Amino acid sequence: MENLHYAYVLIFVAICAIGVNFGFKLKFSKKLKLFLLTDSLILVTYLTWDFWAVSKGSWFFDSNQILGILLFGKLPIEEVLFFIIVPLMTVLTYLALVKLTGWGRTKEGSDDLL
Amino acid sequence: MIYSDIALNAVFLAVVLDLFLLKSQMMTRGIFWLTYFLILPFQLLTNWWLTSNEIVMYSLSDITGQRLAGAPIEDLLFGFSMILLTISAWEFFKKRSSSKKN
Repeated sequence: MENLHYAYVLIFVAICAIGVNFGFKLKFSKKLKLFLLTDSLILVTYLTWDFWAVSKGSWFFDSNQILGILLFGKLPIEEVLFFIIVPLMTVLTYLALVKLTGWGRTKEGSDDLL
Repeated sequence: MIYSDIALNAVFLAVVLDLFLLKSQMMTRGIFWLTYFLILPFQLLTNWWLTSNEIVMYSLSDITGQRLAGAPIEDLLFGFSMILLTISAWEFFKKRSSSKKN
């Protein structure tokens, strides 16, 4: 099970995400297109940085504690999933807080348009 | 200290995108800071897990050496930049898609 150590982080965040989505009735499945646009920007930016830093040896991973699937021969698949799941959780946290506080709602109430 | 330099640049890039290019200006809004400070302890928790178990390790010449909850202090800059960019981009694309429909 040692090779799941990194994956535990992703599973933990994913469980939080599912809980927040349903707990706050955020209907995230209707906002997938918007999320894909947002996350594509994050993926391009941070995977480029990650790939470059790993190539240079700025940081590295314990091969016993990751699944062992490497992207471009270098990046653990967990890194790619991290840059999907963490932004997802970020957006869900933001949406839940907007709903909870009523702050930051736009005048047109454009929430319903998506 | 290459991680330090890049992390600082990432914050700079995220701020410029937020304020001037995407124009979401989330940094000026309380809801962003509330979101950020709610996520921060979770970032520290996952950082602690990843670094104390040595799942991810850092080249000592590439960081300042200051650590928080096991992880290089630079991770705070990285985390901040990603949270800001995520919410800023979300609001940018949301605005764009709703103005198209109107």
